[in-house]
Amino acid sequence: MIDGLVQLFIWQGLGELVSKLLLPNIPGPVLGLLFLLAFLLIKGEVSQPLAMVADSFRQHLGLLFVPASVGVILFLPDLKTHAFAVGVALLVSVVLTIAVTALVLKSFAKAQQDE
Amino acid sequence: MNERLPIAEIWVYLSGSPLFALILTLATYQLGYVLYVRANRSPIVNPVAISVLLATLTIYLLDMPYEKYFEGAQFVHFLLGTATVALAIPIYRGFKNLKGKIFAMLTALVIGSACGIASAVSIAGILGAGDAIVGSMYAKSVTAPIAMGIAERIQVSPTLTAVFTVITGMLGAILAPFIMNFLKIKPWWIRGTAIGVGAHGLGITRAFSVNEEAGTYASMAMGLNGVLSAILLPVVVSYLRA
Repeated sequence: MIDGLVQLFIWQGLGELVSKLLLPNIPGPVLGLLFLLAFLLIKGEVSQPLAMVADSFRQHLGLLFVPASVGVILFLPDLKTHAFAVGVALLVSVVLTIAVTALVLKSFAKAQQDE
Repeated sequence: MNERLPIAEIWVYLSGSPLFALILTLATYQLGYVLYVRANRSPIVNPVAISVLLATLTIYLLDMPYEKYFEGAQFVHFLLGTATVALAIPIYRGFKNLKGKIFAMLTALVIGSACGIASAVSIAGILGAGDAIVGSMYAKSVTAPIAMGIAERIQVSPTLTAVFTVITGMLGAILAPFIMNFLKIKPWWIRGTAIGVGAHGLGITRAFSVNEEAGTYASMAMGLNGVLSAILLPVVVSYLRA
């Protein structure tokens, strides 16, 4: 478990470093993700400790954004005023994102079948 | 009177250390998670929403400034970056099962994501929601850890972005099965990819609970969507603002 975590921290650190020095537009953790992905593709397998840590992160990803979300308290008056706009914008965009993504994939799958 | 003093002292001590915020964050999440499991993992009973609601209510009632709460909770917050790096593992697992679907997936998620962002930003703008809210609509379909990194880069509120991200995930996880059935879409890989793009982390949980293949594709779609958004969004936003 610990060695999986250490590996993640090292990739994250490397990502932060490259982000700071070379690619300031891309967040460090995203670069860390890409480095780790490249490493895994070359290596051809995920080690047991790494898989364990990654799976527990995936399972409780939500916990990690509680601290930031509690900051909603600072925006409550603003959100109350614009509750309708926020609600409509979120609802429409969620439905559109899912429907459009699925329809594009469906047309690809159909084109493949027709060939 | 004297007998009550020690309790007050303990409170002063606790609220001054990071421990209080940490306990508040973890305990409310734990409670939310227990309720979620009891409700058969229904997407309506969302542990994050429960935790945020209870923690916000608590610091509001205690009159505790948010900055003070965050001083303690930042230890949890810090791990977001690490969790982002860990997304490499589901993407890698997805790559192994792709069988030539990568081009279709990338095309679909770019178009789907773009529609989602454009509609959210324009609707919020037309209905007059104000710059802070409209700006936070850009990254809300991306998984939260990456979304907040993007928010910092395009100089909008990471907090509002996180809140919209959570709501998006809940809505997506609840609505996706209805949308798919309405559009008569059956293949698990398509259903999974769409829910991963539209409802990120919560969508993945939902997808895994229905079908393993859908879950793998959802994880992969969420990761790819996050990476692409992190690279493209800052460029697009700076172009739109110029």
